[in-house]
Amino acid sequence: MIQGALAGLAAGGLYAVLGVCLTLMSRLVRVVNFSQAATGMFGAFCAVWLVTKAGLPIWAGSIIGVLIGGLLAAVIGWIAATWLSEADTTTRSAMTVGPLLLLISLSFILFGNKPQPFAPIIAGPAFTVGGVVISQLTLATVGLAIVVAVAVHFLLARTKVGTRLRALSERPTTAELLGIRSRPLQVAVWFVTGIISALVIIIVAPSQSNDATSLSMLIVPAAASALLGGFRRLDLTVIGGIVLGMLSGVVAQIGQISAVRNFLPFLFIVVLLLWSQRKEVWDAAR
Amino acid sequence: MPLADNRWVRRGWPLAVAVVALAVGYALSVGLNGYFVFLAVSAVTAAIAILGLGIVTGSAGMIALCQLTFAAIGAWVTAGLNYVHAPGGFVVWLIAGTTAAGAAGVLVGLPALRLRGVNLAVVTLGFAAAADVTLVQIQFPGSADGVGVDRPTGFETDRSYFFFSVIVLIVCALAVFFLQRGRIGSSWKSVAFSERGTAAAGQSVQSAKLTAFAVSAALGGVSGGLLAGQVGLPLASSFSPLQSLALYVLAVMSGAHLIDMAVFGGILWILVPELLKRWGIPQDWGFVIFGVLGVQALTSGTNLGQGIRNMIWKRQYRRRAAGRRVDAAAAVDGIDGVADPVTTTTVATSKGATAGPAVLTVEGLTVQFGALKALDDVSVEVPAGSIMGLIGPNGAGKSTFVDAISGFVRGHGGRVLLDGHDLAGLSPTRRARLGLRRTFQQDRVPPALTIDAYARFVARRRLDAEDVESTLAFFGCPPAHARLSSVDVGTRRLVEVAANVLARPRVLLLDEPAAGLSHEEHLALATRIRELPERFGISVVIIEHDLDLVRSVCPRLTVLDFGRVLASGPQEEVLDDPAVMKAYMGETEML
Repeated sequence: MIQGALAGLAAGGLYAVLGVCLTLMSRLVRVVNFSQAATGMFGAFCAVWLVTKAGLPIWAGSIIGVLIGGLLAAVIGWIAATWLSEADTTTRSAMTVGPLLLLISLSFILFGNKPQPFAPIIAGPAFTVGGVVISQLTLATVGLAIVVAVAVHFLLARTKVGTRLRALSERPTTAELLGIRSRPLQVAVWFVTGIISALVIIIVAPSQSNDATSLSMLIVPAAASALLGGFRRLDLTVIGGIVLGMLSGVVAQIGQISAVRNFLPFLFIVVLLLWSQRKEVWDAAR
Repeated sequence: MPLADNRWVRRGWPLAVAVVALAVGYALSVGLNGYFVFLAVSAVTAAIAILGLGIVTGSAGMIALCQLTFAAIGAWVTAGLNYVHAPGGFVVWLIAGTTAAGAAGVLVGLPALRLRGVNLAVVTLGFAAAADVTLVQIQFPGSADGVGVDRPTGFETDRSYFFFSVIVLIVCALAVFFLQRGRIGSSWKSVAFSERGTAAAGQSVQSAKLTAFAVSAALGGVSGGLLAGQVGLPLASSFSPLQSLALYVLAVMSGAHLIDMAVFGGILWILVPELLKRWGIPQDWGFVIFGVLGVQALTSGTNLGQGIRNMIWKRQYRRRAAGRRVDAAAAVDGIDGVADPVTTTTVATSKGATAGPAVLTVEGLTVQFGALKALDDVSVEVPAGSIMGLIGPNGAGKSTFVDAISGFVRGHGGRVLLDGHDLAGLSPTRRARLGLRRTFQQDRVPPALTIDAYARFVARRRLDAEDVESTLAFFGCPPAHARLSSVDVGTRRLVEVAANVLARPRVLLLDEPAAGLSHEEHLALATRIRELPERFGISVVIIEHDLDLVRSVCPRLTVLDFGRVLASGPQEEVLDDPAVMKAYMGETEML
């Protein structure tokens, strides 16, 4: 039981990192970015190509791949900031379905539809707890999730850029009237979350089913963890990701109900949403 | 008489189109070469799935990213019944698959009762991803032993099976057409625009959403079942989330709530990859193209079908307007319109409309938001056949009063009685059906409907064209065939009032009906409201800022201030009350 839970911890960290990115996007640029994992996937695939085909060293390939992921996200963000600056969250989010479709198909064209030969960057056991090995990968993903969440928290609460970002997200028009330039800041948020997603996917991909669709669909468990925090709270998002990862680890161990595992993020999402939205009876406040 | 106004033409044209489509389908099934016939079946199945998406995303405005998962359920059940040799043959299996997919649609739609917008998109994508992985694991029944799905007898060849699929498509399209045109279709379009507006029209929001999901999923099921018959051994990869996403994007950009565009979408679904193949380009570019076009459609908020229709409507309108100018010139000033409204600032009261038994009784109504008492022990009686004005400064609690009475505020204190029946615990929908109607300060009139469809949707009873036209004319609304999207917001509010009058409620609560109207329209509306009790037997409560309108319409007034009743009674008494003057004008500026 505990073994399963700890085995799922690495995936949990991954969900948490992506969930933190989603929360950040939802708070700062009013969007649930369905292509969050897809841009990361595309960056990671580029990295693999650069390493295996172009013969770059792993570190160089990875950095370029991460940058590509960030740039792709920035382009989508630029579209959203330019043409959908006044649109509501739902419309902005629906737009990101297009890039999700596009990036998966494009990766089929460029890299084929087979899983990619990722060379693990981080591997090997870190330490042992009660007979269960905790891998370095687990430490890396969970650590990254916590570091990103804490860093973002401080950025938003303590720095001038953070104040501007919050002003922009809460009162966009007022902020713009105060002279805060919205588009560069918004695109920057997209870029940074794109970088983070690409980074975590490059780290984790060797140990995951790493075809384009599976990696892009990581958006589902990521959204599930972000939902625990209601797309607003970073701490709960991290907890949500880790709990979801450990839960699927436990379920995967129990042979008879392993099919449930597929539906776990879905059920997690439904239950959380129904609970959190239980008072939202109507679509408009008045 | 123009052709379009003929009753037989109006009722019969969908069937005529269906017959023509049937003929075209037969001709294609004979005329096309074998390869294209097989592709054409794929186009038909895609069109049916897109038709379903058009309902849930196009009409009802919900994002559903799992259409092909429903198709997979339809295919799975069809293949399963084939595998166990269930009696009845393909058609029965197909219907069973459709039903199963529809049931799954209701299950996935259940969260939609509380969820909307992007949350629902997350749920449906989660469902698609989960079902896909599961499907890859369990596979379709018969795929392990190579037991293919038997096509219906008489339609075994590719050609005849194509004709069969065309028949299914036509049946689906006709069903969707009549659903869209009827009450259910109006409820979908209404719920997409405003849930509150939908409930206030006496339509259950839940059933509107669930029927949209169920019908949409059922069409997905039909599509999947047909596909199972087409290929014999369906593959999980035909129903992947990626394809569902592509289908969603395609539905959005083509405007799939329009049946012709759904069929067009189905053709594109096949045509684009086929063309790419001919040009020697990898077929995956098809989805890249869909992705780009989808981003374009979603950022601009336009779609092909609606764009084309708007263009046609604009031309029609111009032609009609030109025609009308000629008519007007011929009949210089023989205008038959409504007589000019005569309005004075004096009360048109009298007529004993202040007595009589109470239709609406409010006793000790108290609404509390946290520490704020928005309404504090408000008691009001509205006698039958009367018009009561509810006035008060901003923030006095007028709109909260309407919300509480019409059932939109839960957990208020006090009682609300309609004709002596306690309304406690009844939903807004129930209250509206019992004859307590309201209008909104905000625009809650769904622009996707025509005025006629909207009036019938709100009225919830059989109306002949005469009824609708005369009531619309009475309120000075545009003609019934006009589209609400082409009507300005002020006029939409008039249409809202007219439609609610057509519902013949016991009590009609009008929340600032004159906002957004010009001064003349204002006066005209006042004279019409004044006639409501006598002409239609409706008691009216008006919330209004404009004292001119209140003075000319309401024999009785109730004044709210800080959630309490400041004064209530005949108009002159109330308006002369020093406390009322103080609340309205401020102490120092008292006249």
